[in-house]
Amino acid sequence: MNKIPLIARSEYLRRVRTKTFIIATVLAPVMLLALIAVSVGVGVLTQEGGARTVTIIDETEAGLGDALAERLPDNYSAMVEAAPLDSLRARVERGVLDGYFVLPAGLLDGEEEAAFYSEGVGGFSSQMRLQRAVEDVVRRARLRATGASDDVLQAAEAGVPMRMVALTEEGEAEDTSWVYSGIGYAMGFIIYIAMFVYGAMVMRGVIEEKTNRIVEVVASSAKPFQLMMGKVLGIGAVGLTQFVLWVVLALAGLFVAGTVLGTMVDPTTLAGTEGAEMQELPFDPSNFSLADIPFDLIAYFLLFFLGGYLLYGSLFAAVGSAVEQESDAQSLQAPILIPVILPALFLPFIADNPDAPASVVLSLIPFFSPILMVVRAAATDVPFWQMALALGLLAAAFIATIWLASRIYRVGILMYGKKASFKDLARWVRYA
Amino acid sequence: MSRLIVDTVTKRYGAHLAVDGVSFEVEPGRIFGVLGPNGAGKTSTIRMITYITSPDEGRITFGGEPVGPASQQRMGYLPEERGLYRKMKVGEQLVYLGQLKGLSKSEARDAARRWLDRFDARSWASKKVEELSKGMQQKVQFIATILHDPQLLIFDEPFSGLDPINAALLQDIILELREAGRTILFASHRMEQVEQLCDDLFLIANGREVLHGSLRDVKRSFGKNTVTMEFSGGDGFLDQLEEREAIRVRSRTAGHAEFRLLGETTARQVLETALPRVDELYRFELNEPPLSEIFVMAVNGQSPDTLEPA
Repeated sequence: MNKIPLIARSEYLRRVRTKTFIIATVLAPVMLLALIAVSVGVGVLTQEGGARTVTIIDETEAGLGDALAERLPDNYSAMVEAAPLDSLRARVERGVLDGYFVLPAGLLDGEEEAAFYSEGVGGFSSQMRLQRAVEDVVRRARLRATGASDDVLQAAEAGVPMRMVALTEEGEAEDTSWVYSGIGYAMGFIIYIAMFVYGAMVMRGVIEEKTNRIVEVVASSAKPFQLMMGKVLGIGAVGLTQFVLWVVLALAGLFVAGTVLGTMVDPTTLAGTEGAEMQELPFDPSNFSLADIPFDLIAYFLLFFLGGYLLYGSLFAAVGSAVEQESDAQSLQAPILIPVILPALFLPFIADNPDAPASVVLSLIPFFSPILMVVRAAATDVPFWQMALALGLLAAAFIATIWLASRIYRVGILMYGKKASFKDLARWVRYA
Repeated sequence: MSRLIVDTVTKRYGAHLAVDGVSFEVEPGRIFGVLGPNGAGKTSTIRMITYITSPDEGRITFGGEPVGPASQQRMGYLPEERGLYRKMKVGEQLVYLGQLKGLSKSEARDAARRWLDRFDARSWASKKVEELSKGMQQKVQFIATILHDPQLLIFDEPFSGLDPINAALLQDIILELREAGRTILFASHRMEQVEQLCDDLFLIANGREVLHGSLRDVKRSFGKNTVTMEFSGGDGFLDQLEEREAIRVRSRTAGHAEFRLLGETTARQVLETALPRVDELYRFELNEPPLSEIFVMAVNGQSPDTLEPA
């Protein structure tokens, strides 16, 4: 009878039912949301979306004050006044006024500079917006002073739209590689983290069985290979469960957050404040949704996620079998960690140059492919033969490492006392 | 018949020869004691029987079949180093371990309930192992060993850590299993337990057989050469006898002595030396040596033939 499913099931249930699992699964997205909420909150606060009252002292002959009052962001109500500066200053100090502009007479000629006085200088984005408003107004006045017609003004101020088009087999398509390399990056990163987290979980599980001395009982009931595979698969299922739960929570969170935001935020202020920056992006992210991620990319992600996890999970199991304490595992872990960390270092290069020969070669190497091939698959059209070759090599490497790991595991789980070295591990592999 | 046969088995770990050409047979309905000092090869032998490892040479069969996954299902092994999943509930744990031995879920559940009742421990089923005392964990582990009603039972120091009441309960169950015709292998250092329980003995040292046979034969081969004395008065006669190398004292307290007769010394000679010197004599008994003595002598390389007969 094959005992792997039975063992995997027990390993799975034993972990999924623990408080730590439930807390970690629920808390991780909560923490993430809290983090996002804090950063959004900080962003909103620094945007100074609230109504502000300012005064403009206009010393220019062209009457730039009125133009500026009109051009300022919607949440500014501005008045052109000729009040003395110290009374304005007193009003700002009393809180009646949020600030005042001074547009000196020589501004148009570039001999003097405009100034804005307020209690706080304000965030970077609000500074940018005020500066842009003044610049627009002054530039328009200068153009007008040269006698430019309305047509010229319009031509000068018209936006310059540009879009990126990718030539695909189906014809032309909006080039979204910018977003896709972001997604690929995220996917590669998830696989990278998962291999660490769940690989370490496998290792801890093996060490725990060893220090609890239960291993001799189970080893007299099932083959070491079954024990190892059961554990690796069971914990892999724990990882997938956690992952699926997070995706569900994230989608639910997005839905709720979207609804709440929609009712709370006035779309015109959003457009007014962020619209300018968005026009500069080659692609509008708001048109993009999770549903646009192509199915084959998700399939590749899952395949490499599983392949990578199985490859490294079995190696982590072998390391766990050779030690009695997690702290002893560090030196033995190094040869596993290096091939996980290396591709993470290549990530930026691969995401930027997904079709470079170096990228192709690196993404075919079995120990790297789980991370790198997913990044490439997201960023570009990976030829089928490369994908097939990477998966084939990964499967071959998986069979080889499982064989190696199970031989180490078989001997290691029964070894107590002495700290094992690489020489010991090599010896264990050779044992009949 | 469910007989366990270990046939000239050898196991090496690198250059270290852990088990060297060991052979024995364990009969159903008997308790077979495997004794030996630490590192003698007991655990290595047991691991081969339980198919955790395989012998380099020789073969092990149970019920006529080489040991393997099939025989694993029919054996229960209580290792010396105990262990359970600490975070798992007792009931679940027993069911899981029973399932690993090939029981169905409901069979395992029924058996677990039955045995927990026998140990007056039904309320433990929903407790986590880490909440139990060491003795309780020990009992849970014992139940896990016998849950699937195995034909072959291997107990390695089954009584360690148990109080006398629970040790007696375990002993009763082991004896019941013997009556039921199970094949039982019992490994221990505790000689008085071995003497009490075992029908057959196998003494191993440095991976080799040192002594082998039924308890009665082994003891008989060492002869009746041990004297137990109880008396009042001076015990200087013991020193005299020891100086003459007539006896070797094993234990000695006021009014009590246990010693072995050496060389041609007879019990009568000892008695004649003692009588004029003690005030009163309450007991003078000639016995077979205790197993612990046999154990020490045998491990030190003295076979019954080279030992001086009484």
